[in-house]
Formats: sequence, structure tokens, C-alpha cells
Amino acid sequence: MKISRKLYSYYLVLPALLIYCIFFVAPAVAGLFYSFTDWRLDRVGLKFIGWDNFERIFTDKTLLLAIKNTLIFAVVTVIGKNLLGLALAIGLNMRLKTRNILRAVFYSPSILSVLVISIVFTPMLRSDGAINRIFESVGLGFLAQNWLTNPHVVIWTVAAIAIWQHAGFQMAIYLAGLQSISKDYYEAATIDGAGAWTSFRSITLPLLLPALNINLMLTLIGGLKVFSEVFVLTGGGPGNASQVVGTIILRSFGEGSWGLGTAVNTLLFAAVTVIAIPLLIFMRRKEVSEQ
Amino acid sequence: MSYTRKMAWRNYLVEGFLILASLIIILPMLIMIFGSFMDSVQVMKFSLRLPTEWHFSNYVTVFREGGLARAFWNGILITGVSCTLNIFTSSAAAFILTRRETKVSNFLYMFFFMGLIAPMSTITTIRVVQWLGFYGSISSVILIYASLNTAFSVFLYSGFIRSIPKSLDEVAFLEGAGTVTVFLRIITPLILPVNATVAIMVFMSVWNDITIPLYFLTDSSDWTMPLSVYNFYGKFSRDWNLIFADLVLTSLPVFILYLFCQKYIVSGLTAGAVKG
Repeated sequence: MKISRKLYSYYLVLPALLIYCIFFVAPAVAGLFYSFTDWRLDRVGLKFIGWDNFERIFTDKTLLLAIKNTLIFAVVTVIGKNLLGLALAIGLNMRLKTRNILRAVFYSPSILSVLVISIVFTPMLRSDGAINRIFESVGLGFLAQNWLTNPHVVIWTVAAIAIWQHAGFQMAIYLAGLQSISKDYYEAATIDGAGAWTSFRSITLPLLLPALNINLMLTLIGGLKVFSEVFVLTGGGPGNASQVVGTIILRSFGEGSWGLGTAVNTLLFAAVTVIAIPLLIFMRRKEVSEQ
Repeated sequence: MSYTRKMAWRNYLVEGFLILASLIIILPMLIMIFGSFMDSVQVMKFSLRLPTEWHFSNYVTVFREGGLARAFWNGILITGVSCTLNIFTSSAAAFILTRRETKVSNFLYMFFFMGLIAPMSTITTIRVVQWLGFYGSISSVILIYASLNTAFSVFLYSGFIRSIPKSLDEVAFLEGAGTVTVFLRIITPLILPVNATVAIMVFMSVWNDITIPLYFLTDSSDWTMPLSVYNFYGKFSRDWNLIFADLVLTSLPVFILYLFCQKYIVSGLTAGAVKG
């Protein structure tokens, strides 16, 4: 018997839709409009200025550096979080005595606030801090750095802290994926004489694609949206050496140049969409073809 | 050496290596925890040592000077209300969208899904909230969090509601129940575990966040714990024992939640990992 679709009334969608539209979609659409204006705190009227804001973004040294830093941070953290997360997941999927406690330990930093982790690391990253002292005590003194004050190093330091905190989150998703793979496949492969690497490549990797897919998306999108790590660890400094798109938006907001700020936001929106959507479609297709 | 012996050796090797690696996670945490009990001189060495004297009074000082009681209640209010709002609205929306299976409902699902990808437009959101006349208020922040988490929650609920047989609703409909009754009496009891997962995931992300309070809470008496800790960190940058105590206190609620609700977190992660 078929029940009329009308019984599933759209009224129940309305509350979610309203909240979502008013506080997320409407501002995004308005942002598109305002990025082509000279919207400022200290001005009453609005003027359309075409692509001027975007032209400024691509000629201003600080803004260009912020874009470059955002891309570095995104790429480095995607690679780091996923490689480490996958390695940890594979290790902790083995029959180890301490695996439950180790899983909890590696996962635990990701439940804490970015603010907490960033403040805890600040004194350790000073030139006389714990990290340099450890390097010196094991004879690797040449690796000692001014982690947060050397403009060439600082964005990499911030990325490393982000990897430290969140690799365990990626690990948990990979672990869930690994546990959904039946042990029978591996037994069959061992009987057929497959080595560890062959099993990994032809069983683990293809069946882990959904987890890999969601992890790549999460880390990439999260990486491009980076704000709190940089805000707490460096505030964008030294100078502007570690500015990212997220901190530039805050700065434009503080300076009252809202048109420029929304233009930067629109650019981020475009970048995330342009990168994420084709990736999503591509991976969906690959997943299906390998099944 | 036999095959099983070789496997055992490999496991010991991996285990030893992972235990060593776990120190990289544990040691910084211990520096924070031990440091929170030291006096302001000893803590400045920032090295891993037990406090020579345990100063429990640091926590009392932090509570008084940092205005943490207020911040704690603000955090509970904001996370609690936005979680509840999010759970009700998202599960109701997901129920209808997965059951209708029309072009419109598929479009709406994708429309919500976009929210998982797109970054929020902060400055224009402030404009919208100002226009609505409640910029700077706790209620604006609650609604913003509810909207920011809608995409994730609708996505999670849809996956679970799809696995509930439609025949259950049909029987109820035949007996004359309305949409709301079916949702509250049939669907809601079945998705209680998902409610727990959503509640915990949303709670953790909202509790830990500093971005939204930074932009939207103009009055420091409305701040949540992480933001007031940030403020405290700026003001008391010499008293690291107090800063560490402050950080421990901020982390405590999420840590306790994690200890007691691990299984709901895992089921949320599994949904993502298996369904993609």
C-alpha cells in the first residue's frame, strides 16, 4: 500500500531551513554582493566598485602572503594528518595489549579546544623552550629554531601543531573504516601467497576509500578555513609572516574595511567550492568503479 | 622461526614504537597538568617535573580572578540550547527529506549538504544579526551555532533514518496519526542513540570554539570559557601556573564527556567512515 507523500509535510523542514537560511545562506549571498562594494565602517552610502577589492587582494603583498600561507597550511596538514592518522590506525588495528589505551591517548588532543593546545605549546616553542632543549640533548642542536618568531618557519610550526592535535581524529575515522573490512579477505590473500604490501594495496586501500574520502575532504576544508591556531599561536605575526585568510578577515573587520573583508571571504568560499566539489564527485566515481 | 612467532615479534615491535610515540602526546599534557599545581617560579622552567609543593589554591585563584563561574554557565547555556535546537530541527528535517524522495527533497538535502563545505561569511552574518536587532546577545550566538551545525546533523540523521523501514510509519499513518505524531512517537525513540552522537559532537565543537564568541559576543560578561581563558592569558601572561590551571578547567567538561560517552563518538565517526 502506498502512503501519500503529502503526509510527510514540509512543515517539519521549515524550522531547520529557516535557521540555516537566515544565519548561513543569506549572509553568504549578501557576502557575494558586498564584495563588489566599498562597504566601510565609517561611510554611510555604498558604491559598486566592480572587481577593485579582488584586484587589491591580488596586488597587496600581505594579502597574497596570507593566501600562500593558507595553501601551505592546508596542503601540509592534509598530508600530515592523513599519513600519520593512517599509520596509527593500521598499527592500532593490530592485536596489541595496550591498543585501547593507546587509541584513547592519540585521540584525546582532538577533543580539546585549539586554544588550549596552542597556549600549552607557546612556551615550549620559545628559543629556550622544551622542544629546542630536547633537540640539543639528543645531539640534534642544529635543528633548534625560533619556531614562532622566524618568519620562514612560523607557518610550518603552526601546521605541525595542528597535525599533532588532529592526526588522532583522522586515525579514529580510518580505524572505523578498517574495522568494517572482513578478516576473511586477508586470510584468503595470505593463502594465495600475498605479502603484507600486496594485501594492503589490493584489499585495505580500496575498501578504505570511503574513510579516505571523508578524511581528505575534512582535512582540506578544515585547512583552508584555518583561523584559531594562527590567532592564538602568533596572531598573524611576526609582522604579517603567518597571516592566513581567516586572520585577514578578522583584521579587515577590525579596521572597518568590511567590503574588502567580505571579498576575501568570497574568495575563500570560491576556493573551497572549486576544490572540494570536483574532488567529491571524482572520489564518488572512483569508489563505485572499484566496488 | 615459525610464522606465529614472527607475527608476535612484529606486534611487540609495533607496540613498543607506538608507546614511545604516545609520549609525544602525553608529555605536553603532563607539563600543563603538573604546571597548574606549581608556584609561579617553578612553573617558569616549563620542564616535566612533579610540583615540589602542590598548590591547589591556583584553581581557587583562577576561579575568582578569571570570572570562570560566569563563563562556565554561559558555555553551558549556549551549548545546551543550541544543541537541543539543532537536534529537534535537524532530525525533523532529515525525517521528511529522506522519506519524500522527490526532486525537491533531494535538492533540499544537497542545499543543506553545501553547508558542510562552504565557509561561513562572518562579516555579513554580523550585518544580518545587527539588522535583526540582537547583535552581541547570547541568543544570536545560539542561533548561529544551530545553523552552522545543521548541515552536519541533517547528514548524520539522514543516514540513520533511511535504515528505519518505512512500513513503520505507514502503519501509524493508517491508524490516523499525523506527521508530528509519527515523528515524535515512532522515529524519535528509534534515533535516540543518534541524538546522543549529535549532542556530543555539537557540544564539543561549540564548547571549544573561540571564533563565534570573538566576533559576536561584545560584552565580556557573556563570554564562554575558552574566550575568557584567552583574555586571562593576555592579562596574566606571567603567572603560567594560573594559565595552566585555567586551561585544565576549560578542558575538564569535554574530557569528562569523552570518558563517559566514547561509544557515541565512535558510532558518529563510523557513520562517516563507512558511508563516506
